[in-house]
Amino acid sequence: MEHGSFTDETKSTFSMADEDHTLANALRYTLNQDPRVTFCGYSIPHPSDNRVNIRVQTTGDPAREVLKDACQNLMVVCQHVRNTFDKAVLDFNLTKAKEEPEGDISIE
Amino acid sequence: MDPQPEPVSYICGDCGMENTLKQGDVIQCRECGYRILYKKRTRRIVQYEAR
Amino acid sequence: MSGKDKNLHIMMTESESEQEDVGKEGIEWIMNLPDVPMKLPPHVELQRTRVECKGDAPIHTDTIQYSGAFASMGFDNSLRLDNFRNNFKIEVINLKGDDIEFDMIGIDPALANAFRRILIAEVPTMAIEKVLFANNTSIVQDEVLAHRLGLIPIRVDPRLFKYSDKDAPNENNTIVFRLHARCERGKPRLTVKSEALTWLPNGSEFPLVSDKSIPNSKPQTYTSFSCSQDKLPEFSKNSIGPKDSDIILARLGPGQEIELEAHAVKGMGKTHAKWSPVATAWYRMLPEVLLLEEIEDELAEELKRKCPVNVFDIEDIAGKKRATVARPRACTLCRECIRGDAWEKRVALRRVKDHFIFKIESTGALPPNVLFTEAVKILEDKCERLIAELS
Repeated sequence: MEHGSFTDETKSTFSMADEDHTLANALRYTLNQDPRVTFCGYSIPHPSDNRVNIRVQTTGDPAREVLKDACQNLMVVCQHVRNTFDKAVLDFNLTKAKEEPEGDISIE
Repeated sequence: MDPQPEPVSYICGDCGMENTLKQGDVIQCRECGYRILYKKRTRRIVQYEAR
Repeated sequence: MSGKDKNLHIMMTESESEQEDVGKEGIEWIMNLPDVPMKLPPHVELQRTRVECKGDAPIHTDTIQYSGAFASMGFDNSLRLDNFRNNFKIEVINLKGDDIEFDMIGIDPALANAFRRILIAEVPTMAIEKVLFANNTSIVQDEVLAHRLGLIPIRVDPRLFKYSDKDAPNENNTIVFRLHARCERGKPRLTVKSEALTWLPNGSEFPLVSDKSIPNSKPQTYTSFSCSQDKLPEFSKNSIGPKDSDIILARLGPGQEIELEAHAVKGMGKTHAKWSPVATAWYRMLPEVLLLEEIEDELAEELKRKCPVNVFDIEDIAGKKRATVARPRACTLCRECIRGDAWEKRVALRRVKDHFIFKIESTGALPPNVLFTEAVKILEDKCERLIAELS
C-alpha cells in the first residue's frame, strides 16, 4: 500500500503487511545505493503489528518506480548469490571427491 | 440418572490390580484388600497442541 | 564577412562538430581516463572497509550505504551490479552432514543478515503440531509430552507438502505418526525414544466420534487421506520418520502405557521455533590481525602467551625470534593481545566488513546447502511479490 500525495509522486511511504526487518533493511540498503534516492528509511510502527513502513524520496523519478527498481536489483543480486553458492558447493564436493575418493559425498 | 449404572474400572493404589465396581460395592481391592482405588483413564481422545 | 572571419567561422563549426563527437562517447571516454579518482584515500578506505577493535571499544562499526557518501571525493558508492558480480565470492570451507561453513565475500551486512533471518524464521519444515492421546498413564503429563513431540526434527522434504491453513488434514499437508509403548508389569523401566514413532502413510487410525444418524460406509477418522502416502513416488523409496532415533520422550514404569497419534504439519520458525530448520545459523566478520611493528624476542614470547586461542606464532630468523600472525581466523577479538601498556600501538585488531564467515547447522530435514539456496529464493519471492503489488 502506498501513502503519497497526488501532486508530488517523488516522495512516498510504502506500507507493507506481513514483512519485517528482513525485507525492509535489505530494501533500504538497495534503495540507498541508488543515486536517484535522496532519502530512504524504514520503521516498524508497533512491534506487535506485522507491518513496516518504507519512506522513499527521490530526485525526480516516481518513488514507486524507484522502489520497484530496487526490488528488481535485489532479485538480481539474490540470483547471483544463489548461482555463486551452488557453484562453490559443487567445487567443494569435487575437490573433496578428488582428495578422498572413498568418501560418501552427495552431489546435488 | 441412568437406570442401570455401568460398572466402572478402578486401579488399586497398592498392587495395581484392575477392579470393576458397581454402585453400592465396597471400595476395596479384590486382590489385596487395599482401600484406595484410582479411576482408570478413559480412552476418549484428547487433543493437545504441541507448543 | 572578410576572409579572416570566414576562416574563423569554418574553424568554429569544425570544433563544434568535434564537441558533438565527444558528447556521444564522452562519458565512457571520461570514465576510461586513468586519472579519474575511483579510489578513496587510504585512511577513508580503511574506515569504510574495516571495523577497528580498539582497547576500549570498536570504532567505524557502521557500513556506509548512501550512494553519494563520497561524492565530493569523486568516489561512486552506488550499487553497480557488474561491480557486485565481479567482487562477490563464496568459498565453502566445510560441508559435512548437517553442517556447512562458508565464506561470503563482497556483500553488505543488510543482505547477509536477511539470509540469516530467513534461515532461522522463514524456511519452512514439517513438525508435529497436534497430538491425540488415547492413553497416557506415564508420569509425563499429556501437554508436556505433546510439547516434547513437537520439537522432534522430522526427516522429510517440506517442499513436497502444502500449508494446511484451514483445509482438512489430507495426504498433501499432514504426516501422521503413531506411538504405542507399554511397560509390562514385573519388567524394568522402559525408555521411550523417538524411534518408537511409526509413520502411518494411510493417515489417522482413530475413529472420529460421528453422528450415528448419517449412515456411513467408511468410519471417519481425524484425517481424510484420499490415498496412501507411501504410494506417492516421493515417499515410496524412503519412508518418513524422525531424523534422530535416540531422543528420549518418556520413561515408563511397570504397568504404564502411552498410546497416541501425532500429526505433523508444515510451518515456519516465526510461528514457533520447532519449525525452524536450523539449530543455529550465524555469521561473523573475518578477523584481521596486523602487527604494526616488528615484535621480537621477549615481546614476541609475551604476545604468543597473551593470546588464548593461539593466533600468533614465533619464527626464528638467524637466531632472532619474531612474532607472526599465523591463524587470524581463530581470533575471537577478545582484545587480550592489545591489553597493557603500548600494546595497542604494536597490534591492530580489525574485522573485514564485507567478509562473512557463515555457519549453518541444519536440524536434518534438508541438507544445509539446500537450506541456504531456499533462503535466498524466499528473499527473491518477497521482492517479486512486492513488485507485483506495486504494479
